[in-house]
Amino acid sequence: MEPILQITHLKKDFGSHQVLSDIDFSVNQGDVVSIIGASGSGKSTLLRCINLLESPTSGDIRFHGESVLDSSIDVPAYRAKVGMVFQSFNLFDNMNVLENCMISPVKILKVPKAEARDRAMMYLDKVGMTSFINAKPRYLSGGQKQRVAIARALAIQPEVLLFDEPTSALDPQMVGEVLDVIGDLAKEGRTMVIVTHEMTFARDVSNRIIFMDEGVICEEGAPEKIFNQPVKDATKAFLQRFWNR
Amino acid sequence: MTSLPSDFLGRVFFILQRYGMSYLRGAGTTLLISLISTLFGCIIGFGVGVVQYLPIEERLPWWKRWLLVLAKGLLKIYVEVFRGTPMMVQSMFIYYGASQLMGINMSMWFAAFFIVSINTGAYMAETVRGGLLSIDNGQTEGALAVGMSPIRAMNYVLIPQALRNIMPQIGNNLIINIKDTCVLSVIGTVELFFASKSVAGTYYTYFESMAIAMVLYLTMTIVASKLLRLWEKKMDGPSSYDLATTDTLAFTSGLLTMAPAKKKERRD
Repeated sequence: MEPILQITHLKKDFGSHQVLSDIDFSVNQGDVVSIIGASGSGKSTLLRCINLLESPTSGDIRFHGESVLDSSIDVPAYRAKVGMVFQSFNLFDNMNVLENCMISPVKILKVPKAEARDRAMMYLDKVGMTSFINAKPRYLSGGQKQRVAIARALAIQPEVLLFDEPTSALDPQMVGEVLDVIGDLAKEGRTMVIVTHEMTFARDVSNRIIFMDEGVICEEGAPEKIFNQPVKDATKAFLQRFWNR
Repeated sequence: MTSLPSDFLGRVFFILQRYGMSYLRGAGTTLLISLISTLFGCIIGFGVGVVQYLPIEERLPWWKRWLLVLAKGLLKIYVEVFRGTPMMVQSMFIYYGASQLMGINMSMWFAAFFIVSINTGAYMAETVRGGLLSIDNGQTEGALAVGMSPIRAMNYVLIPQALRNIMPQIGNNLIINIKDTCVLSVIGTVELFFASKSVAGTYYTYFESMAIAMVLYLTMTIVASKLLRLWEKKMDGPSSYDLATTDTLAFTSGLLTMAPAKKKERRD
């Protein structure tokens, strides 16, 4: 089976600083891939490259076998197939909750308004936010904002969902509500790539873990393998630090 | 001609009785010119401000980059010239210059709208640019991530937010325009100041006439600022919601209790 996303020899420099060097991995239908690693190891940059929010220096990203770095590719259309949830939510401050979830389906994907509304309500129901549809983002708590952001990403019905540290900006008591939602999505068989510092969550929810260290994929494999029998010293050291925290 | 009353209030009422309509018509003209010119000024300001905000990106083709640099340069000159010279001088310069150099005889109305709009636009351009710069980059990224092109992100997300951010400045500009349209009297626009001065000249009642003008100007500016405040409030949306009671997912954090339990397992 052809992978949905295939990343080959991906490199990203910021000036003379190399953030990613030679990244190779692929995401298949139904995969839940968690990317873990220390801050500054390039996890977020990798995710942002996949969504073309950063343009890679070299290498290739293939979506269903087609290079998205090709100049003929329709970038906004590609991004609409790859949903993204940010650390800082990035809900549109000028729109209420429902409008946030409807704007892209209606204006970009040209879904009829009534259908887009039903769809938005369905996803808002899934994240438990239907009673807040008229609220502007500023009146919501962090956890609520992030759940709306997930509903917004789902509303464009993407093939892959990217999560960029979805709980890092949240108060501890709000982390659970967001992780519960993401866990439910994983059970539905959605294809997801999750950058996270929540190790327990990553272990429970993913079928594959990627450990990144200094811009390279240091170790990759099933959660049991990475968490129970890590091979590389860097992985051991990182996990040791984490469990002792 | 009946003789003027000898006391201040008497004279004010005397003038109002005879020339009340001139004042109202003058005030109406002032209001019309300042409202419409503020609107056009905002449109000009948004156009100029958005262009000034656009980054000159390396990956653009060379001719697009060149065009953008040229446009930015020309617009910069426009802003500097109109911000840096008095509107009274500008109005005479444009009004008489147009007829002398280009043979265009502007109607007085057109000249008035044109001068005030283009002046407001110069001020608004920098305000709009600032309003756009103050928006968090995450808003653009969020818009791009749901499949919007940069232009659509601008239209649906950035401009509406910039508009909200600069509403107080737009109000400020409207109030300045209500007052500053009085300089248009030099090209013969019969706005409130021109009307008041004419009436004053008829009876030599400068103090009384200007007192009436003061009251009318103040009324217009206060009403304008109050209305704009209401509009701002409306843009912000309602602030009270039925919170938490129906939010079944909040505070269901199972993770906090889970993590320490696993910790022991890992250690051995």
